Amino acid sequence: MEGLFFNVNGGYVEGIVRGYRNSLLSGQNYSNLTQCETIDDVKLQLGPSYGDFLASLSPNPSTSDLASRMTDKLVAEFKYLIAQATGSSAKFLEYMTYGYMIDNIALLITGTLHERDTRELLERCHPLGWFETLPVLCVATNIEELYNSVLIETPLAAYFKGSLSHQDLDELNIEIVRNTLYKNYLEDFYNFINTHPDFSGTPTQDVMAEILQFEADRRSINITLNSFGTELSKLERRKLYPEFGKLYPEGSLMLSRAEDVEGVALAVSAVADYKAFFDAVGLSQGGGGLGGMGGGPADGKSLEDLFYQKEMDLSKLVFTRQFTPAVVYAWMKLKEQEIRNVTWISECIAQNQKERIGNFISVF
Amino acid sequence: MSGAVGREAVFPTRQSLGLMKNKLKGAEIGHSLLKRKSEALTKRFRDITRRIDEAKQKMGRVMQIAAFSLAEVSYAVGGDIGYQIQESAKQARFRVRTKQENISGVLLPTFESYTEEGVNDFGLTGLGKGGQQIQRCRETYARAVETLVELASLQTAFLILDEVIKVVNRRVNAIEHVIIPRTENTIKYINSELDELDREEFYRLKKVSGKKKRDVAAADAEILAARRKAEEEQAANPKAPAATATAIFAEEETADVLGEQEDNDVIF
Repeated sequence: MEGLFFNVNGGYVEGIVRGYRNSLLSGQNYSNLTQCETIDDVKLQLGPSYGDFLASLSPNPSTSDLASRMTDKLVAEFKYLIAQATGSSAKFLEYMTYGYMIDNIALLITGTLHERDTRELLERCHPLGWFETLPVLCVATNIEELYNSVLIETPLAAYFKGSLSHQDLDELNIEIVRNTLYKNYLEDFYNFINTHPDFSGTPTQDVMAEILQFEADRRSINITLNSFGTELSKLERRKLYPEFGKLYPEGSLMLSRAEDVEGVALAVSAVADYKAFFDAVGLSQGGGGLGGMGGGPADGKSLEDLFYQKEMDLSKLVFTRQFTPAVVYAWMKLKEQEIRNVTWISECIAQNQKERIGNFISVF
Repeated sequence: MSGAVGREAVFPTRQSLGLMKNKLKGAEIGHSLLKRKSEALTKRFRDITRRIDEAKQKMGRVMQIAAFSLAEVSYAVGGDIGYQIQESAKQARFRVRTKQENISGVLLPTFESYTEEGVNDFGLTGLGKGGQQIQRCRETYARAVETLVELASLQTAFLILDEVIKVVNRRVNAIEHVIIPRTENTIKYINSELDELDREEFYRLKKVSGKKKRDVAAADAEILAARRKAEEEQAANPKAPAATATAIFAEEETADVLGEQEDNDVIF
C-alpha cells in the first residue's frame, strides 16, 4: 500500500539516486586504481565517474585536493536531490545534513572559544552542513552571546536545549559538546523516522531504524574505547550514549561501567554482530593493542574497519528496497566511503606504501 | 723559505737571543698541543658525521611512517582534524632541554628530548570515531620529532666543530709555517750578528795588540838607543841618571794601555 503514492512525490529523487548508485566505483575499478603508479593515473581511472570535477585539477594533485574535488561532486549531487525533494522526503534529507552541521558548529565554537577570526573558519566548514544562519555565528564574539542569540536560531537549537547550557560550552571539552549534540541528533532522527506518519510502517522505517541503531551502537562502543585513559568520567561517558539501539539499555549500562577492552567486549557480547567483530580483531580475548589498521591481528582489519564494513553492507542492502528516501542516505554513506577509499589508495600511491593499499572497503 | 718569512725586528743582542730561544720553545710546545687537539676534534667530527648519516636515514624512515599514520587518521576520521588539534593543544607535551658537552675545550650544546607525561591536551579528539588512530599517530609523530631533535643536536655539534677545527688547524699551520721559521730566522740572524761582532772585536784586539807590539818594539829600540847613547855619553861624560828616568817612564805608559784593553774585554 505504502508504495502506491510514493512515486507521486518521491519517485524522481529515488530514480536519480539509483542512477547515481550505478556510478559508484566497483571492485573492478578499485583493482584498476590499485595498479596505478601515480596520482595522475588515479585521476585518469576516476575519469568516467568524476570527469568534470577532476578536470580542473593540476597535474599530480595532492590527495587532499583530489578528495575535496570528489566531495564537491557529492555535494553538488546532494544539493540537486534536496532541491528536488518535497514534503517528508525533503525533511528526511534535511535530517541527513544535521550531522555535518554539528561538525561545523563544533568548529565555530572552538574558534570562538579561542577568539580566532571565525570568518576564516567558514571556508573549512563542510558544505553539506551549511545553513543560512551559519555565517551569523561569526558575529558572536563571546560564548554567551553565541549561545543566547545565535545558536537558538540554528536548526540545531533543539539539540542544545535541555542538555547544554552556555556555561557548558565554555567549560566542557568541545568533543563532549559535539558528541552530546550528535547523541541528541541521532535520537531525534530515530524518533522522526519512527513516528512521522509518512514513514512509520514503511520500508523507510525498517531500514533506517536498523542503520541508525547500528550508528548509535557504534558511537557508544567507540566513545567507550576511546575514553580509556582520558579524563572523561564514567558518568559523563554514559550521557553521551544514544538511548536506543541494540545495546540499549542493558548493553549501554554495561558499557558505561566498562573499564577496559574486555569490559566492552563483555557488554556487547549480547549482540551477535558486535561479538563477531570483537572476536575477529581479537579484543575479546584481551589480546593485542586496540589495533589501528594493520595493528589488529585479523588480517589487518581493525574494529573501525569492521564497523565501516558493516555500515557499507547495511547501505548496500537498502537498495533492495523501494519507495523510500533511505536510498539517499545509503548512497551518501557509500559515496563517502568511496571518497575515503580513493583518498587511501592515492595516499598509498603517493607515499609509496603499496603493501597496505588493499586496506579499503569495496562494496560492489 | 726562510727568506719569504723574514725575521722579527729585534736588536741582535744576547738578551733578545735568549728571548727568541724561549719563544721558539713555547711555539714548539704549543704546536704539538694544538696538533693533538685538532686530531681529537677531527676524530670526534668523523664520529658525528657518521652519526648524522645514520640519523638522517632513520629520519627518512620515521617520517615516512609518521606521514602514513596521518593518512590512516584521515581515513578513519574521514575529515580534517587539523584545526581542532591546533586549538586544543595548550601545553607542550614534548619538550627539549639543552646540555653542554666539553670536547677538548670546545663546548658543544646537546639537545635532549623528554615527554611531559601529565599533558594530554587532545585526548578526547576523535571520541566518536578514529580516536585510536589519532593517538597512534601522535605517538608516531612523537618518535619522529625525537629523531629530529637528535639530528638537530648532531648538526649543531657538526657546525660548531667544523668552525673550531678550522680555527685550530689555521693556528697549527701558522705556528708551523710562520712563527717557528721566523723565530728560527731571527735566532740565526742574531747569532750571525753576534759572530760578526765577535770577529770584529777579535780583529780589533789583534790590531791593537799588534800596534802595541810595534810601539813596544819602537820604545825598546828607543830605550836601547838611548841607553847606548847614554853609555856612550857616560863613557864620554858620566852624567847618565836623567836618561834612565825617561826609560822607566816609557815602560809605565805601556802597562797602562794593557789595562785599558782588559776593561774593554769585560764590557763585551
